[in-house]
Amino acid sequence: MRRDAPIFHFNDARSAIEDEVVRRVVERVGDPTALLEDAIYHEVRRLSASGGTDEELARWRSLARRLQGLDQEARMAEIRALAREYARDISGNFDPRVFSIATRLMPPVLGALVAPKATFTSVRRLLDARALTDRITVEGHTARVAQLVKRGTVVYVPTHLSNMDSIVFGYALELAGLPPATYGAGKNLFTNPVLSFFMHNLGAYKVDRRLRHTLYKDVLKAYSCVLLEQGYHSLFFPGGTRSRSGGVERKLKLGLAGTGVEAFARTVLAGRPRRIFFVPATINYLVTLEAQTLIHDFLQEAGKSRYIIDDDESSRIEKVVAFSNKILKHNEAVIIRLGEPLDPFGNLVDDDGNSLDPQGNSVDPISYLRNRWGEVTIDPDRDAQYTRELGEVICDTYLRHTVILPTHLVAAAMMNRLREDTRSGDIFTLLRARQKVGVPWSQLAGEVAQLRDQLRVQEEQGRVVLGPSVRNGHGDMLLSEALRAWQGSHRSPVLEEINGELWIGDATLIFYYQNRLAAHGVALDVLTPKRDRGAA
Amino acid sequence: MSRRLTVAVVGGGLWGQALALAALRAGSQVTLVSRREPPLVEGLQHERELSTAARSRLIVLAVPSALILDVLRELGPRLDGGHFVLHGVRGLVGDELATISSLVRTRTPVRRVGALGGPVLVDELRAGTPSVMVVGSHFQEMLEASREAFHHDALRLYMTRDLIGLEWASALTGLLSIAEGFAVASKAGPGLIAAFTTRAVHEAARITVAAGGEYDTLLGLAGLGDLLAAVNQPGRPEVLLGGALAQGATLDEAIAQAGLRVEALGLLPRLVPWAEARKVRIPIVSAIADAVLRGIPREVLIHRLMTEPQAASDRSPQAK
Repeated sequence: MRRDAPIFHFNDARSAIEDEVVRRVVERVGDPTALLEDAIYHEVRRLSASGGTDEELARWRSLARRLQGLDQEARMAEIRALAREYARDISGNFDPRVFSIATRLMPPVLGALVAPKATFTSVRRLLDARALTDRITVEGHTARVAQLVKRGTVVYVPTHLSNMDSIVFGYALELAGLPPATYGAGKNLFTNPVLSFFMHNLGAYKVDRRLRHTLYKDVLKAYSCVLLEQGYHSLFFPGGTRSRSGGVERKLKLGLAGTGVEAFARTVLAGRPRRIFFVPATINYLVTLEAQTLIHDFLQEAGKSRYIIDDDESSRIEKVVAFSNKILKHNEAVIIRLGEPLDPFGNLVDDDGNSLDPQGNSVDPISYLRNRWGEVTIDPDRDAQYTRELGEVICDTYLRHTVILPTHLVAAAMMNRLREDTRSGDIFTLLRARQKVGVPWSQLAGEVAQLRDQLRVQEEQGRVVLGPSVRNGHGDMLLSEALRAWQGSHRSPVLEEINGELWIGDATLIFYYQNRLAAHGVALDVLTPKRDRGAA
Repeated sequence: MSRRLTVAVVGGGLWGQALALAALRAGSQVTLVSRREPPLVEGLQHERELSTAARSRLIVLAVPSALILDVLRELGPRLDGGHFVLHGVRGLVGDELATISSLVRTRTPVRRVGALGGPVLVDELRAGTPSVMVVGSHFQEMLEASREAFHHDALRLYMTRDLIGLEWASALTGLLSIAEGFAVASKAGPGLIAAFTTRAVHEAARITVAAGGEYDTLLGLAGLGDLLAAVNQPGRPEVLLGGALAQGATLDEAIAQAGLRVEALGLLPRLVPWAEARKVRIPIVSAIADAVLRGIPREVLIHRLMTEPQAASDRSPQAK
């Protein structure tokens, strides 16, 4: 384990980081009155709607009343105080001792993460769980990334399926011998005392998604930017939230990861250029714990009145325990795959950290920061466009590095069968359709193998990756594996075998798992994003 | 002026020369990169080697679309992220109908790409009579650089972020001009020609939306504006070509009558399958294709257009 990553000295640097964040936010204020009014408006609205405490509300109302009487300087002082407060709230902690304990306690932490109501007692019961070491695989461009962490700041931008992701990914970095990455976790995850303890001491910083005003966003962006400039490897989920459909993200906004260009420009302007490398990655689960909740969410959003949820999935600790134990029994439980590292402008990067143009020639990343007279600048409009284009490259990388596991393959084969039988491509018709006859085991196994062969061709062309068992297994074996993985993982059975025939137990889950393949042209695709048609 | 923008115009044809002169008039430092001998104009620099274009910050490509890949292959290794590449090429490349800007983007390190279009005519631009161009880019910086490079009292630049829409509009207007020439020479009445023109513009807008551009771009300067210019320009090759076909000329005869190269001709056989694959309704483009490529007589085509089944609404639901 490398101990020279800056995260190990985070606590010493923390107050300096906070100072710098406050300085920048204040420096950039154009109209202090508008900024404060925006904060007051959003905070009063949020607190009155969602039951904030009386003191919180009173504080903002009082500021609103006083605002007119304050002179410019006093307004700036208010902003400075708020920025300071937010920066403190955001900044995390890193305790190397906790870090080493945590890597041993990973399975229970992982369990705790997905069960917000978990207590210390229930977590202790989990301590017997077997280590995840041989169940989580890290593959792809790990060797190159290991070089790059020495040459600049690495920003991991993985796909996002589960609340387990941040912990699983952090653990994967440890497995791959890579230094830990700091991570902006939703503040709601900190309400669990156990989790909070670990997250807080593992370098995670708090992102309060309820705060929607500009000042808070500015502080958050400045914080993330400063961390990148100072060499803190970071983890962002550019999709924003967990994929509701189970599909791989095909359109990204990047959010905080978008500070990469600015961070790079600032180091260049300060005369000590520090490279920033983006590492797109896929996190591939054989089964996703929250699959049922997520896909219901997706269908409700997509279908509005056409689809109504029957009941809610519980997040009981027993379920998490069962799930964690189950996931540990499978060899391909989680495969994390690191894609080709990129510079902030979407260029490929070689082992030495050089940016390469499409023809493979080395290109100076600083050149992208030059304006039309050749001066290095920070230009928010330009940098936002660079970031949008980077998002497109990241999405493309996701597709090429999506790892197909037996559950995805079997679900896609089953959905294809259902589509053929019902002659419909409309997802709501398909979900309502009752299967009239069972699909003979041998038939589905054959179709699974066929589908796999199609994907093999795509794999040879570098368009997708097959998990080890999918690549080599027989249709029979893949079908059994998927059934075994699903068995007991979800509240309702996904696919059941009855007298040698297969019957869909929960079509929404079949849909969820097949969506992993939706972008590859071999499965039902209802997820194609609307094309970005420019801002004008 | 303390900082003069350096501009290289690649391509010494009439269009390239016109753009170079326009930039010179706007006060830019201009190099015309061309194997041909350029007109002698004070202040205009001339280079023969393509690679020299990389010395300028803003590079304007004014070569036929058929040559663009060669130009990018040769120029690409000389460029870096600090270059701004603008093009004035009316074409879409390959069966996938790639826009020129997307080729620049995927074959060179350049990110800041843009396109020129709109109703400006070569002769007006050369002569410096008042005219209007449209520049499109996803980068505000590129829009501003283009304005700085070309804008002056007799050349007004409109800016759009809808780069894809602008590029498609420029390419499709060529087709529409052929159709206009065809319609006028068919001796159709003014009412019918008006209806035909309007529907053709909307059809082009639907195609543009399918390509990822905006509907309204076709209804503005880059589409409708460009078409009006084409129709009223004496000797416009696309219009001549359409007219010749309507009067029963063979394609070869029509090309000969047009005189100059017509980019849209190469686009036609690729556009029809492209649109069909994306389920875009293109009755007028199909009719033009049948007239141009299969020599189907105008009476048959007019009858077909008048009697074809009508869609409930032709306006794309994606459009505002």
